Amino acid sequence: MRNLHSHIPRATHLLAGVDPRVKLLTSLALLLMVVSHRGIAFPMVAALIGGGLCLSIGVRPRLLLLRFAEPLLLAVMVLLLKGFFSGSEPLWGGSFAGVNVTLYRDGLMEGVRIASRIAGAVAVVAAVGFATPFTELLAALAWLRVPRGLVEVTIFAWRYLFVLADDAQVIHAAQRNRLGYVGFRRGLRSFGTLAGALVIKAFDSSQAMTTAMVQRGYDGTLPLMQHRPFRVAEVLPAAGVVLFMGVLWRI
Amino acid sequence: MGLLVSLLLLLAAAPAHAMHISEGILPLDWAALWFVLAAPFVVAGVRQLNRLSHGDLSFKPLVGLMAAVVFIISCMPVPVPTAGTCSHPCGTGIAAILVGPLVSVVISTVALLIQALVMAHGGLSTLGADIVSMGVVGSFAGWGAFRALRSAGLGLGPAAFAAGVATDWATYLTTSFELASGIRGSEPLIPLVTKIVLAFVPTQLPLGLLEGAMTAGMVTLLARKRPDLLVKMKLMTIREVSGHA
Repeated sequence: MRNLHSHIPRATHLLAGVDPRVKLLTSLALLLMVVSHRGIAFPMVAALIGGGLCLSIGVRPRLLLLRFAEPLLLAVMVLLLKGFFSGSEPLWGGSFAGVNVTLYRDGLMEGVRIASRIAGAVAVVAAVGFATPFTELLAALAWLRVPRGLVEVTIFAWRYLFVLADDAQVIHAAQRNRLGYVGFRRGLRSFGTLAGALVIKAFDSSQAMTTAMVQRGYDGTLPLMQHRPFRVAEVLPAAGVVLFMGVLWRI
Repeated sequence: MGLLVSLLLLLAAAPAHAMHISEGILPLDWAALWFVLAAPFVVAGVRQLNRLSHGDLSFKPLVGLMAAVVFIISCMPVPVPTAGTCSHPCGTGIAAILVGPLVSVVISTVALLIQALVMAHGGLSTLGADIVSMGVVGSFAGWGAFRALRSAGLGLGPAAFAAGVATDWATYLTTSFELASGIRGSEPLIPLVTKIVLAFVPTQLPLGLLEGAMTAGMVTLLARKRPDLLVKMKLMTIREVSGHA
């Protein structure tokens, strides 16, 4: 949970005023280009642009590294796996812990291709994630005809995620103070109790929340954020970016 | 050589959250295929959600909060003694048991969407694949195991244990197939799937048992502390609750 961060709350950054639908559509178009590209350069350009955008809107480098850590580790693992365990053109050979290993040129290239795709795709999604409040992204998803029920459930989940996470931390601390998690068997029991307590809290909170919402007129449908009309000043630059990247994708 | 493959994959598995496929790892054709496979289940899940919430206004908030619980559970590190690392449970087993497999698909989709957008665990391009493995296969495997064993007369605890194990292992097998499809290139698919499945065995076999134990712990806690919730979710009858008390 430690790298659970939503957008950068600075209202003045480059993308703050841009309609969330424009940001989402642009990032989805770029994501589509990255995962469909068969080369290395284009995803790397997307990674640089995405990473650069994150830094330019004020994301701290440490936070950015934290966000990229897991996917990049996977990218490195894929690179090693493909380089050493697939391919037919030997590039380098040696011995590791008594086992003969061979690095294959074609396997390595395939690994670099997948790794660059991961880097590009993660950077594009990270940029839109950091630049847009999550609730605005959900409203944009609803505008894109994502089923309304799904969007509403996501809003409820997002609203209570931090409350339940806090509750989990309190219960966890209380369990540790009472010698929970001491030893493997007790640790398992403590974890089961913690998860069960969260489920009970979820049930009770949902009842309390429904009562409160019904008193305020809830009829089973949550009102979503209303979108203002698209502005030419934000659509044109976005279209320009997509067009430019589309040209690079073709090259 | 096989040992080296196992070591590499184990290193990769250590920080992985449940078994999500990372953003960008699948090429477009495979990513699209998994979206197409996931879509009918998500649509059916949303329809069931809407139907159930017509009769009970608290159902949507409950499903939302269950999604938050699944999200939190799948972020909790669980020590895996055989691998000497920490891994993460899926959490969908308990959701499938409590609200049924179709609504559990919706819960998984929500948890995966939040993880993809704010934590870079999983991804938008791989959302379809992750929904199929964790949401569809995991939920139906857990729910099926629970229902089958309950019908056979087993108690809540053992049935929930089996559901947790089935959820975790089914998710892991499906994810291995999806991962192999994404990274195979020109290699034959089945040998690569086998390699990945075998390489994850030291982590996922014990993790499945741990997830089973935790699911059983959760359900027995609910039966002990709040049997009314299990009656509401039709997991126990009032007569069973009286007998339990």
